[in-house]
Order: sequence, then C-alpha cells, then structure tokens
Amino acid sequence: MKALTYSQAKQELEKIVSAIESGELDVDALTEKVKRASELIAFCKEKLTKTDEELQRILENLS
Amino acid sequence: MAEISLTLSELNGQVRDAIRDHLPDVCWVRAETSDVRRNRNGHCYLEFIEKDARGQNIVARARGVIWNNVFEMLSSYFETETGQQFASGLSVLVRVSVDFHELYGYSLSVVDIDPSYTIGEIARNRQLVLKQLEEEGVLTLNKELTFPELANRIAVISSPTAAGYEDFCDQLTKNPYGFVFYTKLFPAIMQGERSESSVISALEKIYGYKEHFDAVAIIRGGGSSSDLSCFDSYLLATNCAQFPLPVISGIGHERDVTVVDMVAHTRAKTPTAVAEFLISHASQTAADLMDLQQRLVEESELILQTAQNQLNELSRRMIHSSNIFIREELSGIQQLSVILKHQANRLLQVESHFVSEKSQYIRMVSPENILKRGYTLTLKNGKIIKSAKELLEDDVIETLFTDGSTLSEVKKINRKTGI
Repeated sequence: MKALTYSQAKQELEKIVSAIESGELDVDALTEKVKRASELIAFCKEKLTKTDEELQRILENLS
Repeated sequence: MAEISLTLSELNGQVRDAIRDHLPDVCWVRAETSDVRRNRNGHCYLEFIEKDARGQNIVARARGVIWNNVFEMLSSYFETETGQQFASGLSVLVRVSVDFHELYGYSLSVVDIDPSYTIGEIARNRQLVLKQLEEEGVLTLNKELTFPELANRIAVISSPTAAGYEDFCDQLTKNPYGFVFYTKLFPAIMQGERSESSVISALEKIYGYKEHFDAVAIIRGGGSSSDLSCFDSYLLATNCAQFPLPVISGIGHERDVTVVDMVAHTRAKTPTAVAEFLISHASQTAADLMDLQQRLVEESELILQTAQNQLNELSRRMIHSSNIFIREELSGIQQLSVILKHQANRLLQVESHFVSEKSQYIRMVSPENILKRGYTLTLKNGKIIKSAKELLEDDVIETLFTDGSTLSEVKKINRKTGI
C-alpha cells in the first residue's frame, strides 16, 4: 500500500466499484473486494489530509 | 591643406546649428527603451535603440532624457494607460526634441509619449511569440498535461519577500477542509531585466526534482502597474510550455494576459487565486473519492440485500413446497385408508353373507331337522343302517325319532330288484 500513488489507488478503487456495480460479484468475492476498497479509500483520504512528515522533510532538504 | 581648421567647439557649434536649422523642433520617433534609470533629481535617463528585423542586432542608438517635471506627468499617464511601468525593453512612440550640446553631444529629450503605440507593440509582440510557439508545436504542451488528481506538492517560483507569496502559503495552510499541501519555494527575481533568466533558472532547478512535485506555481505580488515584459518573453514562455509539470500562473495583474499566462496549464489572476484553484481542485478530488465511497457502500448493500432476498425467497419456496408435499402425502394416505376401510367392509359383508348362507344350509340338512320333518334313522347294534340288505328277518332294530326311539323286530324283508 505504501508504494501506491494516489492515482493508482484511485484507479484500483474505481475498478472495484465498477465490478461491484456490474453485479458480477458473489457475496464471498464482495467481502474481499469491499475490504480492499475500504483500505484504498482510507489511503486516499490520508494522502489528502494527513501530513506526510517524511515527504515534508525531503522537500525541505531540497536545495 | 588650404582649408581652414575649426576648434572642436566651433565644429560642435556648427553641428548644433545644422540640427537646429534643418530638423523640426519636435518629432515623433519609434524606438525601444533601454537602460532606463532615474537620478536623484528625478530626471530619467535612458537609451533609445532600434534593432534589426530579427531583433538580434542594434542598428541605431541615441541617448535620451525625460526631465523630472515631464517624467512625473508622462510616466503616470503611461502606466495608467498601458498597465506597465515605464521601463527598459518597451517599444515606445515618443515625441522628442533633438538636441545637440557641444559638451554632451547628441540626445533626445522626451516631451510626450503615445501609450497606445506601446499597447499595440506589446500585443503585437505577444502575437509574434505565440505564433512562434505554435509553429514550434509547443504552445499547448503544458495545457495538454493531465493535472494530477492529487496535486498537493507545489513548487513555487516567487520572490521570497513578496506579500503575494505569503498570501499564497497562508491561503493553502488555512484551507477549511483540512487538505494538506506541501510548498517549496524556488526563489526568483520577478521584476526587471534579470527576471527572465532568474525564473528560467528556477524552473531548471525544479526540473531536477520534478518527481517530487505535482505542479509549479509562478506567482508574483500584484500592483496596478508593473513590468510584465519578462512574462511575454519567448524564452520563458517556451520553458513554461515544455515544462513536464503543469504550470499555474498567478502573476498578479488584472487586465493583461501575458504569454506565460497563455501557455500555462492554468491561469489565475493572483497568488491567492492560485491557492484557491489548488484548494478547489483538492475539493473536487475529495468529492470524487466520497462519491466512489458512497457508490461502494450502496452497491455492496444492494448486493447483500439481493442475496438476502434470494435466501428469503429460497426459504419461502422450501417451506411452501415441503408443505405441499406433506399435504399431498397426507391426503394420499387418507385416501388409502378410506379405500382400505371400504374394501375391508365389503369383503367382510361378502364373507358374512356366505357364512350365514352356509350355516342355514347346514342347519337345514342337520339330522335333527331331518328327523323333525318326519324322517327316521334306523340303527342295529348302534350302527346306522342304510340298506335293507344289512337286515335279516327277526333282527332287532332301533328307530330314532326326533322326540324318542323305538325297538322293533324285522318281520319281513322286501328287496327292490335291480338296485
């Protein structure tokens, strides 16, 4: 999850939602997909609103 | 050498007189300003130059001066009309008197200026630069870049002391949605002749770190009039246009759209407006995410609900069909039992009828009944006699009646013949 970019996460999320919307998933697969989607949403939200100290430090040290 | 010689001042005096006598007092002249500076007394000294058609080489040059009282008046008029400070690098149409001073030489002193010419020239220059960028196929390159969904790492090109830079950072930090932004300042001179190369070198620096950033903001504090010429420069514009990250311009001028504004991915009027753009973009990104989340929840619930409904339906069908099955079986059994009862009764009736018929018959043929009807039974020595041949004359026989018996002697025997 750490190595994922926002766009990649969003794309994967969109794919999952479309798959669910297409109605191809059974309940067993659904549980797994929803779990993954929740993780992706949390990851994206964090990217938007939570300061990444490491990133901040890297940018501060650019000269 | 019969000709008379002159002193330098005599010669310069003659040049002065020739200029005075043969040139009009004032005339309009088109030229480019260069090396514009004001001294302590407020007089403005500059150079007027003319370049060749390719803009490479200077083909004419003249010193110029605008006296303090004239400059005060003209410069504010010029700034109001053009939105530009009177500065170097401008194409101007000025009314000048041509002076020649024996000691200071040739110079043009400005008495009037036509700002509309400069406006036209700036516009013409912009068109030329835009056309060149278009011909080189780079004009829209930056605009064609996809603005990243998450754009919160911003490389900022600004003067570090500009109020606009502070406003920009403030605006981003205090955004009401709690979005996080990372800004990194790449300081540059944003005004005057050195600004072009300074901004370009800031861009080059950012290029070296391009994977650390989502976008570049070129911002500059506002002001009603300022020197915008660097933002119309071909070199800066082509750098911006070809930059691999989207460029957002916030150069802080209201009425002019510079070439940099036109090649930038997004143009905002002020640094604050750049910040607002970034915040609203982040809001959109967050809204898209919320939308996906909502769809996920709704669709999952729908699937679960459908599965639940299917289960309910299955269980309903199962109960229903079991009931039907049981009912059918029960009624089958009941029917069998009815048939069984009926058949058994019928069988019993038949049998009992048969038995009563037989018993009646047996009753009819029983010896008691036969005796009652007048028949008798004859015995000799306790044995039933069925034939006259078994008897001899004088035999004693017992005759059984229904109500008693008699003993008799046989007197005579008549036998039937042929039996």
